[in-house]
Amino acid sequence: MRKMLAAVSRVLSGAAQKPANRVLVASRNFANDATFEIKKCDLHRLEEGPPVTTVLTREDGLKYYRMMQTVRRMELKADQLYKQKIIRGFCHLCDGQRCVLYCFMLSSLTQEACCVGLEAGINPTDHLITAYRAHGFTFTRGLSVREILAELTGRKGGCAKGKGGSMHMYAKNFYGGNGIVGAQVPLGAGIALACKYNGKDEVCLTLYGDGAANQGQIFEAYNMAALWKLPCIFICENNRYGMGTSVERAAASTDYFKRGDFIPGLRVDGMDILCVREATRFAAAYCRSGKGPILMELQTYRYHGHSMSDPGVSYRTREEIQEVRSKSDPIMLLKDRMVNSNLASVEELKEIDVEVRKEIEDAAQFATADPEPPLEELGYHIYSSDPPFEVRGANQWIKFKSVS
Amino acid sequence: MNLFQSITSALDNSLAKDPTAVIFGEDVAFGGVFRCTVGLRDKYGKDRVFNTPLCEQGIVGFGIGIAVTGATAIAEIQFADYIFPAFDQIVNEAAKYRYRSGDLFNCGSLTIRAPWGCVGHGALYHSQSPEAFFAHCPGIKVVVPRSPFQAKGLLLSCIEDKNPCIFFEPKILYRAAVEQVPVEPYNIPLSQAEVIQEGSDITLVAWGTQVHVVREVASMAKEKLGVSCEVIDLRTILPWDVDTVCKSVAKTGRLLISHEAPLTGGFASEISSTVQEECFLNLEAPISRVCGYDTPFPHIFEPFYIPDKWKCYDALRKMINY
Repeated sequence: MRKMLAAVSRVLSGAAQKPANRVLVASRNFANDATFEIKKCDLHRLEEGPPVTTVLTREDGLKYYRMMQTVRRMELKADQLYKQKIIRGFCHLCDGQRCVLYCFMLSSLTQEACCVGLEAGINPTDHLITAYRAHGFTFTRGLSVREILAELTGRKGGCAKGKGGSMHMYAKNFYGGNGIVGAQVPLGAGIALACKYNGKDEVCLTLYGDGAANQGQIFEAYNMAALWKLPCIFICENNRYGMGTSVERAAASTDYFKRGDFIPGLRVDGMDILCVREATRFAAAYCRSGKGPILMELQTYRYHGHSMSDPGVSYRTREEIQEVRSKSDPIMLLKDRMVNSNLASVEELKEIDVEVRKEIEDAAQFATADPEPPLEELGYHIYSSDPPFEVRGANQWIKFKSVS
Repeated sequence: MNLFQSITSALDNSLAKDPTAVIFGEDVAFGGVFRCTVGLRDKYGKDRVFNTPLCEQGIVGFGIGIAVTGATAIAEIQFADYIFPAFDQIVNEAAKYRYRSGDLFNCGSLTIRAPWGCVGHGALYHSQSPEAFFAHCPGIKVVVPRSPFQAKGLLLSCIEDKNPCIFFEPKILYRAAVEQVPVEPYNIPLSQAEVIQEGSDITLVAWGTQVHVVREVASMAKEKLGVSCEVIDLRTILPWDVDTVCKSVAKTGRLLISHEAPLTGGFASEISSTVQEECFLNLEAPISRVCGYDTPFPHIFEPFYIPDKWKCYDALRKMINY
């Protein structure tokens, strides 16, 4: 009977499979939770840091796995669509495939642990702002893959109505998606000020990269946040390369968690989602208690180049990428942990993979088929204005309406 | 050579001739994201061609410092869209140094290079043409070449010019434009516009990539309407060659100016205003400006946004029939 069920579930796919599998799975006694040891964080101006052990429940584990897998698949699909020229423009992904074409896409492969881990450590009512490697965060902050892919392809079903593209995606309590390096950090400090002012116990996660850490405005934001004790968690996603420049060649001090000087900091293993989660919980609690800002450095990696026009191997070796891929891949780490502690079975996780793939396929279909925004919208949303005003066009006889 | 190779050639000549010249910016050491500095570090050493961290304000401020001591500083800003953190340094420090010190000090040996203009897929932050922001600032010079031959001569002039210069390089032409370019150094004078094609019915003024668009419009006009166009490449935006343009408008009586940057406050407005002052009685039709829309540079709407040849042609036709 069991064998037959297994065979049936292998042949069929989709919802029909689920009940049969559930029966199979339920009969297999999984643990409800397991305790894991995580790496201790390096501390700066802190007496104690996040705990070194954490409990992962089966439910959370499956949720994180699904989310990370979704982000990864979504980035790979975006990569594919890019190569088919269905996505154009600049695209910064988080994934690790070689790109041959002349394009820009910024992807977040292997930085999935960061976005999912951070989200796990905060509430949906907290705020988040990041730079241009934003697809993963857009998803973890609540938007669907459909809306994200449609925004990449520039269609009206996209989260920014097709007008923002890869670098400018927004959601509730997620302020983007910002193209100019470092510019989002003072914004994050401002959002934190609003949190403090509104008194609802919310925090703001302000992310930037190792390259941006050398921008002057970051230090201005540090100063303001510390001076006014703003509930701002500055997070430096250190993936070791600012485009093509390794951190050693760009920064006088690569201890990014200490760069806040008077702001306490911690250095976190960004490839381990549990480590990220615990550190985030710790940092959020610190901020919520009114002690002021805190800085987190997430040590992570990107398989891909900086963007799709960067093959990613001219400034680092393939061996390095392969090594990280085989030893520190965040999805693999979580999977191994869950399987080895009997929190889930390999088949179950594979099933999630299949479902995720299908979801991404559907989303990609939508993103390719959805119509582009109508030309009239070229002038929309420049100002907030009522009644609509006219936008001067390319010559004195062309005008567009600006509606907002 | 194509455009980026001609830039490399100009930089090569500068570094060879001037022992104090240094090139710096983000990623210039390996050759730059557009290959403009390929081979220079190997040839001249890592203390003359070096990378800076990601800090535009720092790059320009640092460049001003180098220039004040008398050395030649050639700074690269990776995209013109990123020049804004450095805006304060350029406008408040570089442009005013000589003036405020009564000519005791100056940073004339500073040249800032930046890729400029639309490229087909740049979207909001890889396509801007900010020449108008800088045109409003006395004390600096702003130059935009249209081709490899022009680029090398103009860049060498900028580097040798005793005033801080901003040199915008049309990024879409980096590979697309190819010309015969001499290997030895040569100069093209600044603040001189060039009449590329003589005509008698209408003057078309543009700079950078748009010169090629406007040239095509001129041949379309000749073919379809029998209209003879005079095409002028402005070359230097600030200080601009008023005489050449006015002389031309006095002859033709009509002026069409075209640029990718948004219409309101774009440099065409300055040209238009000055020309109507100088040539009011010569004008047969209102001066036409065919520019980008007054919106941020769009992601998906780019082909509709740019002032392409059809929009220019349409405007030209309306002017002829005024």
